[in-house]
Amino acid sequence: MGEAQKGLLSVIEKLKGTTEQEVRIVLLGLDNAGKTTLLKSLASEDVNTITPTQGFNIKSVASHGMKLNVWDIGGQRKIRPFWKKYLENTDLLIYVIDSADKKRFEETGLELSELIDEENLKGVPVLIFANKQDLATASPASEIAEGLNLHTYRDREWQIQACSAVSGEGVQDGMNWICNNIVNKKK
Amino acid sequence: MAEDDSEWVVESIVGYLGSPEWVIPVTDFMENKCTVFDAEDENKLSYTEIHQQYKNLVEKLLENYMQEVGINEQQFLTACTSPYAKSKTLQVVFQPVLATDDFQMFRSLMVRKNMELQLQALRVIKERNGALPECLTDGVDVMTELQQQEMKILEEVLKKSKEEYDEEMSRRVLLEEEVGSTSSGCSDNPMAESSKQLISSSASSQEISTVKVNGKSIISEQRKTAAPEGGDGKSAAKIGSSAKPDCGSKTVESRVLPAVRAPVKCDEPHASSSPQTKTQSSSNQTAETWLEEAHREAGFSKPFTELSASQQEQLQQRAAYLRQQRDKLHALKREQQKNKQATTTEEPPTSPTPAPTTTPAISAEERKKLQKRKHLADKLKEEVIKK
Ligand SMILES: Nc1nc2c(ncn2[C@@H]2O[C@H](COP(=O)(O)OP(=O)(O)O)[C@@H](O)[C@H]2O)c(=O)[nH]1
Ligand SMILES: [Mg+2]
Repeated sequence: MGEAQKGLLSVIEKLKGTTEQEVRIVLLGLDNAGKTTLLKSLASEDVNTITPTQGFNIKSVASHGMKLNVWDIGGQRKIRPFWKKYLENTDLLIYVIDSADKKRFEETGLELSELIDEENLKGVPVLIFANKQDLATASPASEIAEGLNLHTYRDREWQIQACSAVSGEGVQDGMNWICNNIVNKKK
Repeated sequence: MAEDDSEWVVESIVGYLGSPEWVIPVTDFMENKCTVFDAEDENKLSYTEIHQQYKNLVEKLLENYMQEVGINEQQFLTACTSPYAKSKTLQVVFQPVLATDDFQMFRSLMVRKNMELQLQALRVIKERNGALPECLTDGVDVMTELQQQEMKILEEVLKKSKEEYDEEMSRRVLLEEEVGSTSSGCSDNPMAESSKQLISSSASSQEISTVKVNGKSIISEQRKTAAPEGGDGKSAAKIGSSAKPDCGSKTVESRVLPAVRAPVKCDEPHASSSPQTKTQSSSNQTAETWLEEAHREAGFSKPFTELSASQQEQLQQRAAYLRQQRDKLHALKREQQKNKQATTTEEPPTSPTPAPTTTPAISAEERKKLQKRKHLADKLKEEVIKK
C-alpha cells in the first residue's frame, strides 16, 4: 500500500481490525473539472447541489471486495499547493479534466506533469477521466491523451477514460480499470 | 512473545490510556483544537494540519510510555491485535490511538468533542437557571449562518438523546418518577467550578448518547447504485497503456460505506456480580454499564471483582456520580426538547404532551432564545477552555 510509514505510526496502521483491503485514491484536477461531481456519483449521492470545494471531501466506496477511500481535494489555484500534503501512501491517482475547456488544457497538463514527478506518487498508477463528454464541445479522449503526452509515461500504469460525471457514462469503466489494476498489483 | 504476555501488555496499555499521563494531554489537545470541526460534509484544509499534530502527539506519548514500561513495538502490536484487545469494550479505549491512522475517525472524535463542549456549556447556562447576565447578552442577534448551522446540529443532538433517553426510560419504567425528580436538582457549585468539572467528568457519560447522533450526521446513508451494468460502453472511449481484459464482474455493486464507524456501546459488563446499590433491581443492565464506565474511566485494568474493597467502593461512587451526571443532562435535554417539540416530527409517542407534528418550525421567538443561549455557550466555552 503505497509508501510505508515509519516507526510507531506504522504499527498503529496495522492495528485496524478490518480484513477488507483498503485503497487510498486521490482525486485531483483543476477546479471545475468535475471532481466532486465524480466523487458524489461514485458514492451514489445527489450531484445537483455541489458547490466549489474549498477544502476536501472523502468518500468510501466498496467495490470488488475492496474499500476505496477516495479523497477529492479542491483544485482552485490557491489550494493546489496543498495537494502535496495528501499524496503520501496513495495507491492510485485519478486526474480529472474538463474536456470542453480547451483554454485550460495547457494548464491542466502542467499540473499533471508536476504531479507525475512527485516523489510520493512514484510509480503510482494514474487514471485520467476526460470528463464532460456529454458536452458537444468536448474533445475526444484520444486527442487529450495526445496533448498530455501520455504515451511517454513509462514508469507506471495509466489509462484515459472518456466519461460524463453527470450522466455517469464511462465512470464505471474507469472504476473497473482501477480495480483490475489494483488487484493485479496487490495480490 | 508468549500468549499470556500479551494480556498483561494489553492491561498495561489500557491502564496507560486511562491514566492522566495520556488522558490530560490528549483531552487538552482535543478540547483546544476541536472548535473548527463542524459536521459539514466537506473537510477544511486545516483539519489535515491538526490531524498531523495529533499524530505527532500520540506518537510521542506512546513512545515515552513504551520506553518507560519496557515494551517494544512488536510487543505493542501483538498485544493490540490480540483477541482480548479486540473486545468491544477495549476497542472504544483504543479509538484515540487508531484515530492517528484514520482521518475519518479522528474527524468524528473531534466533531463529537466540539458538540460535547457546546452541550456542556449549554447545560451550565441552563443550570444557572437561564438568567443571562447583562454583560453576556450583547450582540446576541449577530448570528452567522455557520452558527445557525451549528444550532441545527445541536438541536438534532438534543432530539436524538431525547429519543435515547425515552428508550432507556421505558426500560426503567419503575424508576421513572424517581429519576424525574432527582434530575431536576441544580448544581450549587460556582459556575467556573462546575463547568470545569463537567468537562472533565461528563465527557464519557455523554459518549454513549452522542455517539449515535454523531455517527448519523456523518455517516452517509448506505445506498446501492442501480448501476447500469456493463455492456453500455457506447461512447466511452478507452485507451490504455496496456490492453486489459474487461473486468469480469458485470454485477459490480458500488455502494457507499459508512464513512465513520460509530463506536460501539460498552455491552460487555464484566462486573456482573457487583452488588446493586439502591433500588436498581430492574436496571441491572444500565447500572452495570455505568459501573463499567466508571471502571474504565478510573483506569483500573483489573476485573472489578479483583479490585480491593476501597477501589470497589470508589468505583461504585464513581458509577453513581456518572449516572447522576447523565440523568441531569437528560433532564436538561428533556426540558430543552419541550421547547422544540414543534420541530421534532419523529418524536416517540412517549412524550407527555403530543407534539403538533404539523407545525413546520419553531417560532422565531423560540429560535432567538436558543440563539442567545448558543451565543452564550460560545462565550462560556471560550472562557472555560482558556483556563
Ligand atoms: N455537462 C457536464 N457538466 C459537468 C460534468 N461534471 C461536472 N460538471 C459540472 O461542472 C461544474 C464543476 O463541477 P465540480 O464537481 O464542482 O468540479 P470540481 O471543482 O472539479 O470539484 C459543476 O457545475 C458541474 O455540474 C459533466 O460530466 N458534464
Ligand atoms: Mg470540487
